[in-house]
Amino acid sequence: MDADRDNISRIIHTICPFCGVGCGIGLRVEQEKITGVEPLTSHPVSQGKLCAKGWSTAYAVDPIDRITTPLIKENGSFRPASWDEAYQLITEAFSTAITEQGADAVGVIACARATNEDCYAAQKFARAALGTNNIDHCARICHSPSVAGLRQTLGSGAMTNSIDDIEKADLIVIFGCDPTENHSVLGGRIIRAKMAGARLLVVDPRLTRLARMADLHLQLQLGTNIALINGLLQIIFANGWEAAEFLNERCENEAALRAKVAGYPPKRVTAITGVPEEKLIAAARMYAKADRALLTYGMGITQYTTGTNNVISISNLALVAGQIGREGTGINPLRGQNNVQGACDMGALPNVFPGYQEVAQQTSRDKFADHWQKKLPENKGLTSLGMTKGALSGEVRCMLIMGEDPVVTDPDQHHVQRALEALDLLVVIELVMTETAAMADLILPAAAFSEKAGTFTNCERRVQLIQPAIAAPGEAKPDWQILGELASRLGYHGMDWPNAEAIFNEITALSPLYQGMSYLKLAENYGLQWPCNEQAPNGTPLLHRQQFSRGKGRLIPVSHADPAEMPDEAYPLFFTTTRLHYHYGCGSMTRKSPLLERETPSGVLFINPADAQALAIKPQTKVRISSRRGEVETRAVITDEVPPGTVAMPYHFKEAPSNRLTNTAQDPVTKMPELKACAVRVTNLEEASQ
Amino acid sequence: MRAFLLESLEQLRDHLAAQRPLFTPQFAADSSEPSWLPLSHNTPSVAIEQPLLPAYPAKQFFFPEREILFRFDGTDFKETLPKPAPQILFGVRSCDLCAIAYQDQFFQQDPYYQARRKATLLVGIDCQLPCEGGFCPTVDAGPFVRDGMADLVCHQQGDHWLLITQTSEGEALLEGLDLKAAAEEGITQRRSQEPQVAAQFPSATHIERGIQRINQSQVPAELWQTMGLQCLSCSGCTSLCPTCSCFTSYDRPVDDGFERERCWDSCLYDAFQREASGHNPSAAAGQRVERFWFHKFSDEYIKTFGRYGCTGCGRCEKTCPGVIGVHSVMKRISATP
Repeated sequence: MDADRDNISRIIHTICPFCGVGCGIGLRVEQEKITGVEPLTSHPVSQGKLCAKGWSTAYAVDPIDRITTPLIKENGSFRPASWDEAYQLITEAFSTAITEQGADAVGVIACARATNEDCYAAQKFARAALGTNNIDHCARICHSPSVAGLRQTLGSGAMTNSIDDIEKADLIVIFGCDPTENHSVLGGRIIRAKMAGARLLVVDPRLTRLARMADLHLQLQLGTNIALINGLLQIIFANGWEAAEFLNERCENEAALRAKVAGYPPKRVTAITGVPEEKLIAAARMYAKADRALLTYGMGITQYTTGTNNVISISNLALVAGQIGREGTGINPLRGQNNVQGACDMGALPNVFPGYQEVAQQTSRDKFADHWQKKLPENKGLTSLGMTKGALSGEVRCMLIMGEDPVVTDPDQHHVQRALEALDLLVVIELVMTETAAMADLILPAAAFSEKAGTFTNCERRVQLIQPAIAAPGEAKPDWQILGELASRLGYHGMDWPNAEAIFNEITALSPLYQGMSYLKLAENYGLQWPCNEQAPNGTPLLHRQQFSRGKGRLIPVSHADPAEMPDEAYPLFFTTTRLHYHYGCGSMTRKSPLLERETPSGVLFINPADAQALAIKPQTKVRISSRRGEVETRAVITDEVPPGTVAMPYHFKEAPSNRLTNTAQDPVTKMPELKACAVRVTNLEEASQ
Repeated sequence: MRAFLLESLEQLRDHLAAQRPLFTPQFAADSSEPSWLPLSHNTPSVAIEQPLLPAYPAKQFFFPEREILFRFDGTDFKETLPKPAPQILFGVRSCDLCAIAYQDQFFQQDPYYQARRKATLLVGIDCQLPCEGGFCPTVDAGPFVRDGMADLVCHQQGDHWLLITQTSEGEALLEGLDLKAAAEEGITQRRSQEPQVAAQFPSATHIERGIQRINQSQVPAELWQTMGLQCLSCSGCTSLCPTCSCFTSYDRPVDDGFERERCWDSCLYDAFQREASGHNPSAAAGQRVERFWFHKFSDEYIKTFGRYGCTGCGRCEKTCPGVIGVHSVMKRISATP
C-alpha cells in the first residue's frame, strides 16, 4: 500500500454552501473529484440532516462549466487571457475613472456566498485600495431592513437567539417566510418542535406547508404587515396582556406606541389585512400569553418599501409581549445565503466597517486608517442599486462584482442590464458563466467553497470554518487573493496576506464581535457565536439577556402604508416573488443538478384556482405575465398556496426572470426594493393562439 | 464453510489490506463520524470492534451516486464499463450485507454494478450490541451475518474472534495467515448467542404492527397526506437507504459530443414520475411517501427479493429533517385505530 491511497478517497468536513442555516457536511472526494456528500450527525445545527440543495452539493461545484482562466471580451465573445493582462486592463480602467472623476466613480459588489475573508478583502479593497465606500452586496435586497430596523430598536441587527431555541419554545411564530422551503433543515427543527407539542402561528399571504400544519394561520393581504402587527398590539394593550414589568424596566417610548396602535382597532385591521377579527384576537392572546414564544421572519417582512418599518413593528411586538432576551424566545431573521450574516459583519456595506463600526464616525475611520495605513474616504458610499443607477447616469464608470448575479436577482432586469452596459468596465469574479458574467468585459475565475479555506457565519451568528477539499480548477483562486493582487497593482500593499487565517486574524483584531475567535478555537467548538470576546470567550448564543445592545429596547410607532404599486384595471393582480426548496439564488449552483433542475424546469407561475379559472388557465398552460416594467413567459401551476388575486413566481430562473416584472420602488431607509409586491396582468397564451 | 480462531481483527484486516485495497468504516477527519474510507498506513489504527455503522451503507461501492454510462464523440459511442481493481470491504454489518444481497438481485443484469460487485470481497462482522435506532432482528437482517451474505464473517467470542469462511474466494485470501481451526462448539455457540443479542434491542412492536397495517391496506389516506406534508423532498432517506436503487440518467455535453451519466434519483421528488405533459401519477407528497414505505415493507417484494426492502439500519430516521423516518412513520401508523 502506498501513501497515494490517501488521495484516492477521503471525507472533508466543512459547511454547506447554500442558505444561512449553516449545516455541517462531509464532502466525499474520490480521485480528486467531489463525488457526493455525507451528513454529519455531530454537527450542532444540522444533526445529520441536509436539504435537497445540500445533498446536491457535488453538482453545484462540478468542474463542468467552470471558468478556469481569466476571460477578456473581444468583439462580443470571450477569449482566455493571462492574469497579468487581466490585472493590467482592470488597473488601467479603474485608475482612469478615478483620476478623471474621483474614487466614487468605481464600485465593488461583494458576495454573500463568499467567505468572511473574501468579503473583508472586498471592503478593504474598495476603501483602502480604491478609496471609495461604494461597497455593497445582496443583503441590500434581503435583510438590510433587519440590520437597519433592529439596530434602531435593539442595537443589533441579527438573530437574537439560536437555532436550538426553536425546540425550547412553546409557541413558534413564522412571519412572512417558509423555512421548510428555503431553510429546510431549520424548517425541519420547527416540524420537530411541533411534533413535540409546540404550537405554530403562521402569518403569511400564502398557504405554506407550515401554514397547513399551523394551529393558527393569519392569511393577510400582501403588504399589510404593519397594520396587522399594530392591530395585534392594540388588542394586547386593550386587554392588558402586555409584559408590563418588562416594558417598564427594559423598554422606552411606550406611550407613543400605545397612542399609535390605538388607531388600529380590530375592525380597521380586518378591513386592511383581510384577517378575521377573531383570528387577530386569538393570535394576540397566543403570542402575549405564551411562556416562550420564538418569532422568526423572512423576506415577507423585509422586501417592501416599508421594509425597515416592518422590522420595527416586529420588534415592537416582541418587546411589548416580553418575548425576547430569554431562551426559546426572540426575534430571528432567517438569513438567505450561507454567509450573508458574515458579509454584513465584515462591513461589505457602504455605511459600516467590519463589526458595524460607522464610517460616518471619525473615531472608526481613524481606527481603520491607522490599521490599514491608508487615508480612508468619508463620502457616503452607494448601495448596489445606487451603483446601477449611478452607472446609468455616468456617475459610476467601473464596477467589480464578486460572485453575485444582479441581472437575475435584482429588481427591474431591463434597468440593471442597461446600467451594466453603460459601464466603462465591468469585472466579474465567478465560478460559471452567469447572466451577469456574460455582460462583463472581463471575468476572473474564482475558487469554489470546496477549494479554499475560510469562514462562513450562519444566521445564528455562528462563525464556522470551511476546509478545502480539492484544488481549484485551472487558474481559479480565492477572491481574497485576486483582490490582494489587484490592490498591489493599484499601489496598495496592505492586502498581501499569506493565507485566509491571516485575514481572519486581522478581522479579530479590528472587529469587537469576532475579537475572541481564532481558527483553532473555531475548529474546537464547531464554530462560535458572536459576540465572542473577553466577556464571552465561548461566544453568545443568546443576545439581550440582561439589557439590549443599545441599552433600553426602543418602541417606535410606525404606520401602515400600501405597497408602492397596487393592482388596478390595467394590472389587476398582485405579484410576489418566492423561493423554492430546490434552488438557491440565481440558480447558478443548484441548476447544475439534473434532479433539482427537473423539479421546476425554467420557472413557473403559481396561480390560485379561482384566478386560473377566470383566465381559462389549465395546469401547464403557457402564460405571459406583464407589469409596467416588462413581461415574461412561463407555464402555470395551479395551487391554493397563493390566495385569489395574488400570483407568485420564484426568482431563480433566467429563462423566466421574475425580476423583469418587479418594482424598484425602495424603502427610504435602506434602499431595499419592493420585491414582494407589484401589480401584473396575466395572459393565457394558449387561448390567444386558438 | 470453515471456521478459524483469530486473535484480533487487526491481524486479519492488515493481512487482507496487504493484498488488496481495503475500505472500512473509520472516523473521518478526527471526528466522531464514521465513514467508509480506505485503510491507510498514514492513519492510526481505529478500534474496529465497536459497532461503527457508517453514515452510508456500502451501496455506493457498486452503484455509485454518479456514473458515466457511455460517451458519444459525434461519430461513435464509446463504452465506459468500469474495470475495477479487486477490493475488500471490511467490517460490513449484517443490515448492510442483506442490502447488498438485495441489490445484487436488483442489478443482476447491470454490467456496471456487476463489474464492481465481482471485484469486491465482503468481510462481515456480527453485531454484539444494538446500535442507535437499529432494529435488524425485526426485519430478519441481523444482528449476526446471515449465511451466504459475505465472503468472510468475524464473530467476537470473549477475547478472541471466530473467523468463518463463507466462500472459496474468501478462504483463498487467508493464505499465509497461520490460523488454528475453531472447534465445532464455537460455531454452535454463535448460533445460540444470536437470540440473546437480538433480545437486547428495544421493542419494535410499532414496526411489526406497522408492517401488518401496510400490508392490510389499513393506513388511512389522510395519515399519508399528513406525513406527506412533512416530506421536504430532500432525498436524504433514499440517499442513505441501503436498498434504494432508483436512478435517472441525463446527458452532459463534453467537447465534441456528450456523455450519459446516471445518478441516484429519489422517489420523493415531485418530478420523479411526472410525465412530459405535466401529468403526474403521484402528484401528492402523501402518495410518494406511501409508495416509499410500501417498497420497504410490502410482502409483494418478498416474492422477488426474498425479504423486505428495509434492513432495519435506522439511517432514514436520523437523516429525515421532516420527522418521517422509519420509527416516526411506523409509530404513527401503528397508533391509528
